[in-house]
Parts: sequence; structure tokens; C-alpha cells
Amino acid sequence: MLDQPTNERRLTIARAMAEAMQQEMQRDPTVFVMGEDIAGFGGIFGNTRGLFEEFGKERVRDTPISETGFISAAVGAAMDGMRPVVELMFVDFFGVCFDAIYNQMAKNTYFSGGNASVPMVLMTSTGGGYSDAGQHSQCLYGTFAHLPGMKVVSPSNAYDAKGLMTAAIRDDNPVVYMFHKQLQGMGWLGTEAGATVNTPEEDYTVEIGKAKVVRAGTDVTLVGLAMGVHNALKAADKLAEDGVSAEVVDLVSLVPLDRETVINSVAKTGRLIVVDEDYHSFGVSGEIIASVTEHDISKLKASPARVTFPDVPIPYARHMEQFCLPNPDKIVDAYRKM
Amino acid sequence: MVVDVKVPQDLWQDDGMEAVITNWLASDGASVRTGALIAEIMVEKSQFEVTAPADGILTIAKQIDDIVRKGDVIGQIT
Amino acid sequence: MQPTKEQSLWMYENIVVSRRFEEAIEKVYLEGKTPAFNMANGPIPGEMHLSNGQEPVAAGVCAHLGADDIVTATHRPHHQAIAKGVDLKKMAAEIFGKSTGLSGGRGGHMHLIDPAVNFSCSGIIGESCGPACGAALSRKMQNKPGVAVAFLGEGAANQGAFHEALNLAGVWNLPVVFVIEDNSWAISVPKSEATAVARNDVRATGYGMPGHYIPGNDPYAIFDVAGQAIARAREGKGPTLIEVETYRLAGHFMGDAEQYRPEGEKEALFAKDPIPKMRDRLISDGYAAKDIDKIEKRAEARVAEAITFARDSAYAPQTDALTAVFV
Repeated sequence: MLDQPTNERRLTIARAMAEAMQQEMQRDPTVFVMGEDIAGFGGIFGNTRGLFEEFGKERVRDTPISETGFISAAVGAAMDGMRPVVELMFVDFFGVCFDAIYNQMAKNTYFSGGNASVPMVLMTSTGGGYSDAGQHSQCLYGTFAHLPGMKVVSPSNAYDAKGLMTAAIRDDNPVVYMFHKQLQGMGWLGTEAGATVNTPEEDYTVEIGKAKVVRAGTDVTLVGLAMGVHNALKAADKLAEDGVSAEVVDLVSLVPLDRETVINSVAKTGRLIVVDEDYHSFGVSGEIIASVTEHDISKLKASPARVTFPDVPIPYARHMEQFCLPNPDKIVDAYRKM
Repeated sequence: MVVDVKVPQDLWQDDGMEAVITNWLASDGASVRTGALIAEIMVEKSQFEVTAPADGILTIAKQIDDIVRKGDVIGQIT
Repeated sequence: MQPTKEQSLWMYENIVVSRRFEEAIEKVYLEGKTPAFNMANGPIPGEMHLSNGQEPVAAGVCAHLGADDIVTATHRPHHQAIAKGVDLKKMAAEIFGKSTGLSGGRGGHMHLIDPAVNFSCSGIIGESCGPACGAALSRKMQNKPGVAVAFLGEGAANQGAFHEALNLAGVWNLPVVFVIEDNSWAISVPKSEATAVARNDVRATGYGMPGHYIPGNDPYAIFDVAGQAIARAREGKGPTLIEVETYRLAGHFMGDAEQYRPEGEKEALFAKDPIPKMRDRLISDGYAAKDIDKIEKRAEARVAEAITFARDSAYAPQTDALTAVFV
């Protein structure tokens, strides 16, 4: 499955994120954390567990419900020598504060000709599947990836989660770190077990901008991000029962996007299915397919396919939401139709 | 020597409550050290940690989503 | 302003219906979620934000509103929806995700919209404020009567949308009343750590409108102050900001272990439960205990009927997920 060293220290993504922040805060006094309920509560999704107890309220700050206020403050602090890690509790809340993110955090480096940097991390929860309805379940990968000037990452497992957070904090560029709620390890939400994997205790980085082939195969390339990777791996298992060998690519990053890994995989398999929990149109799935086809369409043995969320607000009722979400069976069906 | 990994009696207050294993943080067959965090258990809405009582190789007895009570053996260390 | 007999009993019934409803919803919500609390499971999946303890605010304000007046509310909307006259059966069915629900199961508990009584709510903090201004503006432009009330939490008073809406209401002299339910907690963050002033009524001056603070979660005091504010708005005299001290007897959301609440705080709040207090007040005002008992029984019956309706209703076909987008 996921290519990890066999060892004995498994972490949930929540713990891995907290550990990365802890180690960076120990190493670098300019790193601090801000957000709603991230201090004593340890974060709604467990990702700042233990930080308040170790570093105190100067460096681990609960904020008022003032996203524009504290996220634009993070921009200012980052431009003044600090390295803030700031949380937007649900990515769906971006609507109340997006100017600070896409117009300032993402553009100030450019506006300064590279003379100013904005070394901040914006971490935010994504994803549905547990009936949190239309304003608390979105992925919005396309929205953030589309706009220039900010790196965007989303781990599928704890090993990548820790390495990406460390890399994001050390990166002098602004990084949007999207963590999927169903991979976190929160008992009250149900967790994809495959996300909890061995995670080294020492600090390390995972390269931002590099995709990973997490399962080698020859007949079809399945490309996914975060939860999509786990859906793709399960689909690959099902396809294997019928003698179909699927290769699974974990994008890891949306910006920079590792098109080369995807292109090389499709050159080998000739078939492409993109799994994207974000809305179908104008997003990541279209971008991957366009990147492959405009590179060399002759490599494709069949039209590419995508398994995505339809272009509707996310419904509340469980059966409706499950009807809309990508899942392994839909990926298998997409292959069969090729 | 075989050491049982039990749900500690003092992990939460209400003795009668059932809990659920939400995460195993060490694999079946992994080598663990005393005090290492090896599992997370949830009672109602609160998460608790279970640490290894000894050094050795872990054998998992109860799986994720299994229901356990205080004192139940969830694994063994040899 | 004192409530008439009808208004007093109306308020009491609303408060009791609200509480019984929340208790019933809590029970159903926990089905399928023990012992493993996985939010996705059970007949009511997802998040649940209950209003136990906050009922007086909804009743005291909505006693002055008709179906044509507008209410915008928050992620904790049940008591306000009930007080505004949203059909209890359709609301319950929506929370159960059934086809007979207000939106056929698409919206769920945080997104209850009922145009018949001009009620809507949003799960995004602070987003109740702007639409209330817009509804008030619309009535002014059309020369139609009507007052808009925006409910929000004290945490939302630090969100930009709140401040913009208040200024807009002030500068355009809109018939809108902003009612802050101060239950002291924004999930785990207490008001004292998040808000630069102790009480939000003082912020009203910054937006050209009167501000009031009502301590004690008392429906009669709320009735009085809200009544005056709503009358002001109806007379074309513009907006008002009211902050009400109230109590959140449940966690922020079901599943919240509330370890951040100081020891003893919840017990102290349960001792101030507004329902027994109001019952005592009605009795000392001369209402017969047996009449009050009748109201309580009727409230229980209404809730039971709504829950049964919700349970017995069918789910919409899953393909309904794709409809109601462009109508």
C-alpha cells in the first residue's frame, strides 16, 4: 500500500500536524499559532494538541471570530519577521476573509518584486461525508489552487502530514495546508484508518510540489488527493480482483502541481481517472485532464474520466450526500466504461 | 513474559461506560517501549490515550471500532 | 412594556415547546451514536447545536413579530424558528433529512429556510446580519410594513459582517433589530478573552443606534426591551442593538465534551433554568397551575407529533440532491 518504512510509531494526521508545529516552534521562536479554539481546546480537529500547554498564550493564541482580522494580521506579522501558522477552521468559511488570503497573502511577494516575503501557513479543514451540509463540508481545492501566489498542499496520511507541515512552516512562501476531516483521526468523526501511519519522531520534510506513486500499476492511472487517494486505493484493490492493475498517484500538492508524475504514469498505463471530491466543473479534475491531454494525447488509449462531486451545494441528508460523493465503486465503474 | 495491555481503571470516571477504540498507534507485531502512546479510546465524546505498560512486541487483541470496558484486555506485549 | 395574558402564555408555551423539542432531538440524535460517537451515524447525522436555556430570547423577541416580519438566525436556530412560527413538523422532518422537510432534506438543521414565515438561518457566523438589513431595506423601498430581526451570538459581534451590517442599518435608518444572544462561549473561547468590551450594547453608539443590555435571561425583561425596539423600528425610527445575557445549557455542538467550562459552571446554570423560573412567575401572577400544566402537556404533544411525523416520513429520492439548484 502506502510506501512507508515498517516501524512502531503510528500517528493520526491530527497528532502529526501538532508534532510538526511543536518541533518547529521549539526550533524557531518566530513561529506562532493563531486561530479559533486552537489553544486550550487543542483545535476542533485535534491539530494543535499540546501546543498551548508547552508554549503558552503568547505563541498559541485563541482569536475572536474575526477571520479577516486575524488572517490579515498574520499577513502583516509574516511580512515583519514572524512565521505565523493560522487556522481557518473550515475552508467553507473562506468567504468571510478571502481578501486577506488571495489578494494580500498571495500577492504581496509579487507586488514587491520578490523583495518582501510572506512566510505563513494557512491551515484549514476540508471535506464532507458525515452530513455537515453545504457550508461545512466542501473541499474547494479548485478555488484555492486556481489563484496565483499561494502554495496548496493536502496530505493523505500522517507521514506526509507531518513532513508537509514542517516544509510549509520553513517555506518562505505562503502555504495553504488543507487537511481532510475524515483523515484526521478524530474519534467523533470516523476516520479512514489508512491515514494513520508510521511517522518518524525526528523532524523531516516532505517536498511540496512532488506527487507520489503510492501504488504501482500498468492498466490505468488513478489520480487523487487526500481522501481521494484512499478511495483510489480501495478501487485499485477491487480492480485487482478482476486482474486489472491500477496505479495510484497521490498528488500531495496542488500548487505547485506535479504534472510530470501524472503524465509519466499515463504514458505507462494509457488510461486516466481523476478522483476529486471538489465540485466537478472548473477545478482540479479538469486541470489534471487538460494537463495530460495537451501534453501528448497520443498516449491515451481511452478518453480520460473523472469521479467528482456534482455542481450542486452539498446536501444534508445522508443518502443524498453519499449519492454525490466519490467512492471506490464509482471509480471502478468509470474504468469499466472506458 | 506476557504483559496485558488493559484499559486502565482510572482512564475515565464512570465505571459502567463503554468505550470504543478509535485508533491504534502501533501496529500488530510492532516493537513498543514502555510509556509509548499506542492507542486512542473514546468514551462518549472524549478521547483518551492508552500507553504501553512494558517494552516488547505488541499483539493487538481488539480492533478499531471494537467496544471495550475498563479492565478489558485490548492487546498483549511480549 | 408588559405582556398581556395571551402573550405571557404564548411565550411560556413557546419556551416549553422549544425545550421539549431540543430534548427530543437530542435523544434521537444520540441514536446510533453510542457507544461510539461517530457524527455520521444515526437518524440525525452531522452536527447539532441545541438551544436549551436560550429560549427566553426567542420568545421575548418574537412575541412582537408576525408572519410578515423577518427573522434571520444562526447555526443554533431551533428556538428562534419555533418562536417565529416555522411549522414544527416540517422543521423536524428537515432535521431528519426527509422529503417532507422544509427543503426536502437538502439543508438540514443549520440551514432552515421557511419563506412562509420569513425565517432563514445560516451556518456561517455573522451572516444573519446583512440579510436582515436587506429585508428591512426591501420593505422600506416597497413601502410595505415589516421589521427584520437578526439573531447572533456574542462571538459573532467580533465578525466583520456584524459591524458592516450595523453601520449600514444606521446610515440607512433601516427597520431592523439586532439581538445578540450572549451565552458567554464561542465554542471554547469565553467572551472575556475575545471581545474588547465587556458588553456589546456600548458598540451601538458607534453605529448611530441605541443599545441595550439585558441581564438574567428573563423573558419579561426581554419582552419589554425588544418590544420597544421593534416598535421604534415600525415607527420608522431606525435600528436598535440589544444584547441579552442567556445560558447555553448544552455544549456548543453535540459531541462537545466541554472540558473548557470551569467546574461548577453548568450546575450553576441549571439552577437558573428559565423554565421553572417562568412557571413560578406565572403562578405568582395568578395563573392556575392546572392551566399551566395543560400548556406543558400540549407542548409535549406538539413535539411528539412532530417527531413522529419526521420519523414516519420517507426520504426523498437520492437524485433530489441534484435538483433545486436553478429553479
